[in-house]
Amino acid sequence: MIIDGCERVRERLSEQAVPLDADEEAHLQACQDCAAEAELIRLLRGSRPEVPAELVGRIESALARERTSRGGRRPWWGLAAAAVAAVALGLGVPGGDRTGDVPAYAAEEATLELWPSDDGEIAGLPALDALSDDALAVLLDELGPSGPGGAA
Amino acid sequence: MIPDGDLVQAARTGDERAFGTLVERHHAGVYRLALSLVSDTDTAQDVAQDTFLKAFRALDGYRGDAPFRSWLFTIAANEAKAQLRRRVRRKETALDDARPVVGDEPSPADAAVVTDEAERARRVLATLPEKQRLSVTLRIDEGLSFREIGALIGSSEGAARVNYFHGIRRLREMLS
Repeated sequence: MIIDGCERVRERLSEQAVPLDADEEAHLQACQDCAAEAELIRLLRGSRPEVPAELVGRIESALARERTSRGGRRPWWGLAAAAVAAVALGLGVPGGDRTGDVPAYAAEEATLELWPSDDGEIAGLPALDALSDDALAVLLDELGPSGPGGAA
Repeated sequence: MIPDGDLVQAARTGDERAFGTLVERHHAGVYRLALSLVSDTDTAQDVAQDTFLKAFRALDGYRGDAPFRSWLFTIAANEAKAQLRRRVRRKETALDDARPVVGDEPSPADAAVVTDEAERARRVLATLPEKQRLSVTLRIDEGLSFREIGALIGSSEGAARVNYFHGIRRLREMLS
């Protein structure tokens, strides 16, 4: 019985697809115990259970069904996104009155204008609030009936 | 050969062929692992199918810390055990669940009938305690490292190695 090297050779025998080196082969020739183990492993490797030929197809079919069911099902974040988009587009509830039953706070929000009013402002003219009393008097004289563009 | 990790990445983006390649590459190992646990070819196929379905659904959860194969085999082992539990709930005995193909040890008469040495070795292998059986199967049939085997059977790398060598020794004793 050879003990020296047995452990290493048996570990190597257990490794798949790794050929033994010359020293290990020599050990196997000299050690009956390791040779018997090599024979057992050869037997086992030569008798791996056969895999049913239809298995891959079966798995692929199950995956195809899974993909189909996933495609038809909208995830929760998809529903949330759809809801946000509907609100942004002002779709509301189909067939419902968009203004008739709006709560007060929402109605106030709805009356706010997006852009501040520029009524009373004329492009190119100075803002009246910024003028001093004297400057305002001069401006009124210019714009008065005797001023430029005024009625004769 | 495209590494598993790259195929997983591609499959996550919806590449069906990438996941198909993973199925092609690993279905045999998953099936054999399942068979070593449930000892029934029909159930092993069910386990293999469910394993890939679960892996497909959980692909985003695979972090890549362990090889994809180990992750897949862990799912397969859990699926196989779930199948065994379902059998137990159906009032079958625990012994039948674990080893329906053979008894604890083949009788001399049975052994005489099994003329093929390899078949006999396989039958005896099926009688080993679960951790020894899995360690031998995963090492010899699938080429897993002892570290991978340990992770799979819930043991350390060293314990997986011990289980493997005990299993081999037991096999040799029973076959001699």
